[in-house]
Amino acid sequence: MSSSAFTVLRGKRTRRQVLGGVAGGAAAFSIGSMLPSTLLARKAPAVIQSGGPLTYWGGLIFSDAANQMLTDTINQWGSDNGVEVEVVMINQNETQQKVSAAVESGTMPSALDLGLGLAQLLSTTGELRDLGALYDKIGAAQGGWFESIDAAVSPDLLGGTRTGVPFGSGGNIIFRRLDVLEEAGITAAPTTWQEMSDFAIEAQQPGVYGLGLALSNVGDGNLQSSVLQSYGGRIADDEGKTCTIKSEETRAYLEWVTAAFEAGVFPPGATTWDGAGDNTAYLSGQAIFIANPGSVSIAAQTDDPELFEATGYSALPAGPVMTVAPIGPNIRSIPATTEDVDTASALIEFLSQPEFLGEYYKVAIYGPVLKAQETMEAFEIPVLSGQRELVLNGTAPAFPDVNNAAFADFGANFLVPKMVQRIVVDGRTIDEAMGEAQTQGDAIYAKYV
Amino acid sequence: MSILVKPESLRTSGRPRLTLANRQAMIGYLLVVPALFLLLGLVAYPFFFAISISFTDRLVGQPGAWVGLDNFRYLMNNPSFLKTIQNTIIMVVVSDILKLFIGLSLAMLLNQAVRGRGLMRAVIMLPWAMPGFVAFLVWKLLYMPIGGAFNQILTKTSIYPEIIDYLGQKSTALPAVIVATTWRGFPFWAISFLAALQGVPGELYEAAKVDGASSWQRFWDITLPSIRPVILIVTLMSSIWTANSFENIWIMTQGGPSDATMVFPVLAYFGMQTQRLGEAAAVSVAMIPALLILVFFVTWLIQEDD
Repeated sequence: MSSSAFTVLRGKRTRRQVLGGVAGGAAAFSIGSMLPSTLLARKAPAVIQSGGPLTYWGGLIFSDAANQMLTDTINQWGSDNGVEVEVVMINQNETQQKVSAAVESGTMPSALDLGLGLAQLLSTTGELRDLGALYDKIGAAQGGWFESIDAAVSPDLLGGTRTGVPFGSGGNIIFRRLDVLEEAGITAAPTTWQEMSDFAIEAQQPGVYGLGLALSNVGDGNLQSSVLQSYGGRIADDEGKTCTIKSEETRAYLEWVTAAFEAGVFPPGATTWDGAGDNTAYLSGQAIFIANPGSVSIAAQTDDPELFEATGYSALPAGPVMTVAPIGPNIRSIPATTEDVDTASALIEFLSQPEFLGEYYKVAIYGPVLKAQETMEAFEIPVLSGQRELVLNGTAPAFPDVNNAAFADFGANFLVPKMVQRIVVDGRTIDEAMGEAQTQGDAIYAKYV
Repeated sequence: MSILVKPESLRTSGRPRLTLANRQAMIGYLLVVPALFLLLGLVAYPFFFAISISFTDRLVGQPGAWVGLDNFRYLMNNPSFLKTIQNTIIMVVVSDILKLFIGLSLAMLLNQAVRGRGLMRAVIMLPWAMPGFVAFLVWKLLYMPIGGAFNQILTKTSIYPEIIDYLGQKSTALPAVIVATTWRGFPFWAISFLAALQGVPGELYEAAKVDGASSWQRFWDITLPSIRPVILIVTLMSSIWTANSFENIWIMTQGGPSDATMVFPVLAYFGMQTQRLGEAAAVSVAMIPALLILVFFVTWLIQEDD
């Protein structure tokens, strides 16, 4: 089917009918939409649809407003363009399982939101389409992509092609309780991890613990890998082929985390927290410092305005060797099984428009990805301003390690938080814990040679 | 059953006619065919498919190649794996013993003519009727170090002034999970035993009483032997369910701290995170021999009873 044709073959509608439909949809949109009128003024790209409905799997985030806005916008786009759409919001913690099942059963959606890690896995096995042309088109129209984003979705990391269009950058920033810290005479943000644990020890009170950082087998627990790297430790060598976790630098990191644990700055339960452990600890007033992408701020703003006002934000601190503050772009992709690529591409292009993203960012938890987005009003909000800083100054995913499948496997087995657990829970020595992690790391990296 | 055979001279020529017994047998086989296909499709195929891919390096969306025992060797070298075997056995055995004790006690109580018996029978089903996700989330909240009900009670009443991190300590994590798992599972045992107890003839107890048997003797010599087949079946089913249970561990500890609660389904789930289906299947397959031994042992005991 030619993309230049303007006749919607489905239902044999004429060009006039299509245009009429678009106009009618836009009129309805202007009455009930949450989006600003500026978006209405912008005409959606013309699309052609073949086959069944266009199914979109959106990534569910902690902001109901953002989830609803994405759903409404896609539905409205479908209505305006005569495209039958079906939006399914997927809990981001379950995307991996749902996508795996869908790939195996041949029921992938027409397009979907993905984290970079999953996109890498799917790209290397040829499950995603090349969106290089669309990526370039969107970038050219909006001042280009930020260098950090561009590097993170480099074809080198995605099986040789650009299989995703970034729409928002995520990453951890430090949240701190200004009120509790001020009581201890601390007003500055910590600049190093050591300083952060020192502040935590100094400021914590009965029932309020210093460091609300997960040491458990969940994604948040892998923040410890970044801390380890900032101490100079490495998961693997420069080639990304041999595990090198057992080192003096790793020992220095483990000494820091063990001392902090023994000083009682980690809340009880941090070794078994689920993905919401830090959120719960901070929102219930039990933690002074946490690392979070922004969901806590959204919850505090509505549920606890006092806590929201008493929260300060800063970048991840440095270690003795470097600062490691990974950015994690979220991308939109089109599976290889999608037949109607033009329609799916048109939707992704539409969702990249500044009129939509400008409003979406205000209620979501993402940083900008395109240079034209840097001055958007949304990024004047303190927590989102932190995300913008992260995009400008953060480090590439996995840096200084090589971001490859072995690194992802190492992370999926939570070997760094487990190494910490072996010491603080099992009472093993640092050498024993490092030795076990090295052995497991060797086995993992050996699989990918 | 005897089958009538016609003399050679009386047989009709041409197509041989089926006897009534054969026709009935054929109809029987035909009626079984749909169920057989269902079993093959829903049980046998996934079972053997999982076994076959455990010997491959299959990734999601990729067929994979034969790697022999590599996945199992990798698993055996994983320190979490040995801990997983140990935890799974402890969890199944201890929770089964607890459920047997609680279930049998409650069943015997509810088998008596006590006031409110009907209501009590309904109430004890609640833990089992409640969605597992909700039940284990509630238990997690009860165990929470700060604000959790158990710690609140112990500290406010000064019974134990210090906070106990039930799920975060190696010594208490597995027992805490076992308690929650037992709570969720005991109603099935209680109701099954109650149904079995109601089938035990009252005359046996009356005769034993006349003979001067004590309460303990009546329980040991009449009640237990009478419901033994039900105990065996319930133990078998509950053991399989417990060994395969995922949500209890995942919701409360994710297998931590430091593998203190790691069990097979959670380990397999971690394998799936990297889309390495072969490895994940190997974890599941590794559990099969233990379950098969259990199934054959219980089946043998039941056949002994027969």
